[in-house]
Amino acid sequence: MNPSLGRRRLLGYVGTAVAGAAAGAGAGVVGAQALEETPAKPARSEALPRVVSPYGVHQPGVAAHPTAVTEVVALDLRPELKRSRDRESLARLMRVWTGDVESLAAGRGTPGDTAPWLAAVADLTVTVGLGPGLVGEEWGIAAPDGFARVPAMKHDRLQEEWTGGDLLLLVCGADATTVGHAVRRLVADARPFATLRWRQQGAWRGRDEQGRPQTGRNLFGQVDGSANPKPGTDLFDTTVWIDRGPWAGGTTLVVRRIRMDLPTWDELTRAEQEESVGRRLDDGAPLTGGTELSDVDLAARKDGRWVIAEEAHARRTHPSTNGGRRLFRKGANYELVGAGGESETGLIFQSFQRNLTGQFVPIQQMMDAADALNEWTTAVGSAEFAILPGFGEGEWLGHQLLA
Amino acid sequence: MKHLPTCTTRRPRLRSSVPAIALALLLGTGLVACGEDSADSAESGGSAEAADSLVVTDPWVRATIGSEDATMTAAFMTLDNDGDEAVTLTGASAEFAGRAELHEMAAVDGEMGMRKIDELVLEPGRGQLLQPGGHHVMLMELDGELAAGDEVELVLELSDGSEVTVTAPVKEFTEEAGHYHDHDSHDHGDDDHADEGGTKDGSKHGTKGGAGDEQP
Ligand SMILES: [Cu+2]
Repeated sequence: MNPSLGRRRLLGYVGTAVAGAAAGAGAGVVGAQALEETPAKPARSEALPRVVSPYGVHQPGVAAHPTAVTEVVALDLRPELKRSRDRESLARLMRVWTGDVESLAAGRGTPGDTAPWLAAVADLTVTVGLGPGLVGEEWGIAAPDGFARVPAMKHDRLQEEWTGGDLLLLVCGADATTVGHAVRRLVADARPFATLRWRQQGAWRGRDEQGRPQTGRNLFGQVDGSANPKPGTDLFDTTVWIDRGPWAGGTTLVVRRIRMDLPTWDELTRAEQEESVGRRLDDGAPLTGGTELSDVDLAARKDGRWVIAEEAHARRTHPSTNGGRRLFRKGANYELVGAGGESETGLIFQSFQRNLTGQFVPIQQMMDAADALNEWTTAVGSAEFAILPGFGEGEWLGHQLLA
Repeated sequence: MKHLPTCTTRRPRLRSSVPAIALALLLGTGLVACGEDSADSAESGGSAEAADSLVVTDPWVRATIGSEDATMTAAFMTLDNDGDEAVTLTGASAEFAGRAELHEMAAVDGEMGMRKIDELVLEPGRGQLLQPGGHHVMLMELDGELAAGDEVELVLELSDGSEVTVTAPVKEFTEEAGHYHDHDSHDHGDDDHADEGGTKDGSKHGTKGGAGDEQP
């Protein structure tokens, strides 16, 4: 289709030695490219894992570009600490985790690490949040505006084993060995305070063959996340970050474990698959034209019918269908393989928003009512967390709320 | 780092947080604790304390719960000298320990054991790992058990009389569990061990037999 595409793919394999010669060679190839202004030159070195500073107004994992591996971990505070509303213990856990996050992000083992050699520079971020059981009056921790459990949806088939939790660790990184090590150390150091509730691991292809950021695809093959507000923009800030009070700089997260029925999805024709979403499968562009990042044209009609079907996912979730409400979403594909080789497949869906009840819930209800994708997707797990604001050097996670 | 404001009075530092430790705190807390005029004296190369140059990262203390001898344990951390002059540690103290000493691991009569050292010299730009199997701060005559999840404070004493207070989490550690109970009272007092510099990413180096590169 595009003559330069083959060449660019080739350049991706030959590496940095030809970087200069290749610069600018293929401007205009968009594909599933998330960041429009990303330079067209090969960017292998950009794709190499780096140290992501853990410091800042926000925890860096929220806005960071999706990494290859995501692990979501929920823990429960020990019953005796919960009963006594032991804020001091909670604060100590946050300080222990802060030290762990600082060392893991830098590629060092944690203090007291039994296997520090497994720590590595890996784009590692650790995002920490508190569940509904640890915020509110009885804890003396004001809940963020609109922070509450997600109400039951008629298509939900929630399983206890993937639902709820008092504490969140969202660990993202370039490889599963490093991420798994980080999770084990963080969970081990939490042991005096909290016990593991569930772990969910998923994968994402957030970079193309040349190392450039791209949107990535879910297991239906769809480019997934094209309509996201872009980090660093005002739209992102107003969508995601809490802007006042003790949670300023934080956000809220809904984690949904969405089972996807691949065998029945595979029975559809490509046209049926594309119609259910309202986007093309090859490049993620709306069926109304343009490129991946073009807005869908919800008013477009052809032969007396909507080009974007009434129940198409892109219409049901579009801000104009939802009173302007938006989310910032991330995904991680999972495949849980059983002993006999059968597997459960799906998406660990993560929705970040300033106001959970004001943004996520109505959009989810709009989908629950009539989204075409409901036929092949089922939420089997759900959890809500208030994501702590960021911290600076010498500070600790949650000091704004627990100090 | 070169132009840290200094105070003539010593102040507790690194107090507000466990990971604490570093530059920002020195700049932050130190600055606040200082009188306004003293901020200038550092610029003119005045009396900088050694404590201003000592950067402590990743501190932790081994829990005693479940150990054979709960009266002693050890503290570990990474030390860096970020200043222009040598920093010499001469000792340590902690309210919860009757006695605290700087220790190294060394072969004594063919067997690895730990022994007290009188000082630990960090040349400018050099560091030293305090880790299981290597140098550590020995904490003895503890006044109670230390459980994983606790938080303790200890003070590092420097040769110019300045001090650095370190807040450290207490963590479980099973490797070499018996190591810090079999206290070897050999008191060598030689100081030539102190010139090997650790590295900042030294936690990647082995902990077992970590004293192998030392020549006491
Ligand atoms: Cu010792």
